[in-house]
Amino acid sequence: MNLFFFSSPPTFFRLAGAMAPWFFVLAAVLAAAGLYVGFVVAPTDAVQGEVYRIIFIHVPAAWMSMFLYFVMACWGAASLTFNTRLSAMMARAIAPTGAMFTFLALWTGAFWGRPTWGTYWAWDARMTSELVLLFLYFGFIALANAFEDPRRGDRAAALLGIIGLVNLPIIYFSVHWWNTLHQGSSVSFKGTSMHVAMLWGMLLMALACWMYAIGASLVRVRSVILERESRTRWVRENGPRPSAAGAAAGVTKP
Amino acid sequence: MSHDYFIWMSYGAAAIAVAAELIALRLGRARALRRIEEEKDLEAQD
Repeated sequence: MNLFFFSSPPTFFRLAGAMAPWFFVLAAVLAAAGLYVGFVVAPTDAVQGEVYRIIFIHVPAAWMSMFLYFVMACWGAASLTFNTRLSAMMARAIAPTGAMFTFLALWTGAFWGRPTWGTYWAWDARMTSELVLLFLYFGFIALANAFEDPRRGDRAAALLGIIGLVNLPIIYFSVHWWNTLHQGSSVSFKGTSMHVAMLWGMLLMALACWMYAIGASLVRVRSVILERESRTRWVRENGPRPSAAGAAAGVTKP
Repeated sequence: MSHDYFIWMSYGAAAIAVAAELIALRLGRARALRRIEEEKDLEAQD
């Protein structure tokens, strides 16, 4: 199959509509399992007590904030390289969800930091670089919407997204490169220093966040496609209230 | 201060953020559909 088959907005619009609910269902199931493992199965931490349970939302949110930025920048790079409309729309659709996870990582980190470090915030390398990531997301969203011609906004935002990629290794390696208040990684490809139940709770929640992010991005990209393609024939003919012919052609209600 | 406060503030914020995003997604979809309707109406008037 031609890889560009799904890069057609009408095709992807239908595909996204069919897939999004399943990702939300998966996210709900995984979140329920993750919270059960995290709050019921996982033992109390010997040093931090119960407050360590913030890890089950903080770490997945932090991982998603970086991963989504990477994916968003890749879509931006694809839109610049191949000049495909859908790539830029995907980058736009991912940005708000990425910003939401970045905000959550900072917020939950602050509420974990207060009882463990004695402060909500410090201008520590990890926290500061994560804050810069939030500003990069805001910049991307603002730049994408700053132009009357959306294609110009796409290009400018994609460029900012690609430049901002330099921040990801800074976030990841900040705890190694500088003497930071933030602890080092508890999980790496070499292994983990965590109790197995804690690890499973965290991984289940990370998967839940992943599924949610995909579902939310798919729903959002459908709105972006509708807005951007509002003057095209396929939207006009099968738009808000699809005709019988449109339904027969397999075009779902947007 | 009890650890419960910090845990509730974290998970509560997460729940609110997700709920807010889901509402924003619905509003975005409604806005896109409304725009299409308006353009259709304008075309019909022309």
